[in-house]
Amino acid sequence: MQAILPISMVPGNSAIHKISPLPKFLWVGAVLVLSFATRNLAILGGITILGLIFVTIAQIWKSYLKVMRIFFPIFLTLIVLQSVAPAFPRPWTPITPLGPFTIYQEGIYSGLSMELRIYCVTTFALVAIMTTHPSDLFTALQRLGMPYVLNFIMTVTLQLIPILQNEFAIVLSAQKSRGLKGTGFSALLPSMVPVFVGAIERVQQLSISLESRAFGSKGIKTSYRNIHNTIWDFMILGVGMLGSCGLLSWIIFDKSLDWSRTLVFAPWLALTLVGVATLGFLIFVFFALRAVLSA
Amino acid sequence: MPEPIIVCQDLWHIYQGGVIALREANLTINRGEIIGIIGQNGSGKTTLVKHFNGLLKPTRGVVLVKGQNTAPMRIQTLAASVGYVFQNPNHQLFAKTVQEELEFGPRNIGVPEEEVAERREKAIEFFNLQELRLLHPYRISFPLRKLVGMASIYTMRPDVFVLDEPTTGQDNITTHIVYQLIKRLREEGSTIVCVAHDMILLAEVAERMIVLRDSHIIADTTPREVFSNRELMQSTHLTPPQIAQLTLRLKEHHKMDQLFLNVDDTVKDLDSQLHSNSPK
Repeated sequence: MQAILPISMVPGNSAIHKISPLPKFLWVGAVLVLSFATRNLAILGGITILGLIFVTIAQIWKSYLKVMRIFFPIFLTLIVLQSVAPAFPRPWTPITPLGPFTIYQEGIYSGLSMELRIYCVTTFALVAIMTTHPSDLFTALQRLGMPYVLNFIMTVTLQLIPILQNEFAIVLSAQKSRGLKGTGFSALLPSMVPVFVGAIERVQQLSISLESRAFGSKGIKTSYRNIHNTIWDFMILGVGMLGSCGLLSWIIFDKSLDWSRTLVFAPWLALTLVGVATLGFLIFVFFALRAVLSA
Repeated sequence: MPEPIIVCQDLWHIYQGGVIALREANLTINRGEIIGIIGQNGSGKTTLVKHFNGLLKPTRGVVLVKGQNTAPMRIQTLAASVGYVFQNPNHQLFAKTVQEELEFGPRNIGVPEEEVAERREKAIEFFNLQELRLLHPYRISFPLRKLVGMASIYTMRPDVFVLDEPTTGQDNITTHIVYQLIKRLREEGSTIVCVAHDMILLAEVAERMIVLRDSHIIADTTPREVFSNRELMQSTHLTPPQIAQLTLRLKEHHKMDQLFLNVDDTVKDLDSQLHSNSPK
């Protein structure tokens, strides 16, 4: 019945867990910039593979896959929609017809590059989140100069997500116990009201409780958890930043890296890709509908 | 002849992550009984009763409600037979007015409109909600909100009422209404399962007590037996009502013949003893 958000720290003692939060999150930032700077499938694929190596080192495959399966239907939809209606400047190069639609070269390329972008950014972000204690993250951000209040808001918001999810599961159970049919948007309303009212009450009580414990007082705040950046952390940071800058320069100056017009997909490959994605999407819709109807 | 309404056979429940919340629970609840379920926090009380209306499905074993296995049944179907009153009314209430709240359950289980109105009026009268009927449930006090939560299940007329901590956070007036509700439901032939830490309530209303410790049912007997068993009470860290403690001590000192669970019975017994000892 409990629905705990899987995006949280996975305790461990791996080399990635031991890295200070600062280099990890700067790496995530760098990957974000790189992934949106290029459409080159090889570069995006390479970054994704690097991310997967980190997932393996951190030993977080189980939690990682739990989150990634949420993205699975999005990936399938992207391939199907992009292949027939590319988000790409015209002219489009037709590969093969598919019923009333046409599969385009640029569409397949655009779909794959969008997917790889999401994959690599999500993978690096998950590695950072799942190997970093939330308090360490916020202590690191505070060191970087983020205002204490803003930092605290972020901490509390992240803590509230699993609480509200749990609350929503309880409320949904209470409504089902009164015969509520768990389908459609109208079925959600009886559950949303108590959750939001509860959340508002919780926030009101929290604000009173915080003020009564001197929240907002001036001066230096101490932290229960201390972060020490080692020479190893600075090395990782340096390698990451240098590598990212190098790669970024290459992407900017080498125009041949744009393969969107040059990489040709054979009709059989395009059809297989779109067919498998469509089939996967339909299977997903079937199971989703079955889950909703049996709820 | 007792008619079993809920039967648990070798019931186990293991939560995700491997926490064993209930093991080898064997239990039969008969129609019309008032059952008290007690135990420390985390002993498995709520896990047990959540199987009765299908909120939880057995990891192992079987739960039968009116002879039907709950495993393949939907909560919405079981809701017509087993009504679950949640401990926190805020988890249940959402409608714009109290009376709409009372109509929600019966409508979901397909009760005809005229009967919905009739049930609503009966619940309003019984729970004394006349002045609150047009108010938003969140604009009334917590104890009254809790009564609205109970009334919203009452209108569904289930065979079994599961009350989760019905007197927690209640004042004297609303506690009294809860007592009356349980007695009236008994008169109407309903089965009541009451999960509570309120020993005074259970001593007053329960006919049978089920005691849980470390996910096991360790006792299933009368309240008198439970409260007179010092070892059982100590091992579960539960405290009998003060009147039961007093009469137990008097009984141990041979000043009283039996254990009493409420003040009225104690006074009656003391009164008769005083009269029989008084000089003519």
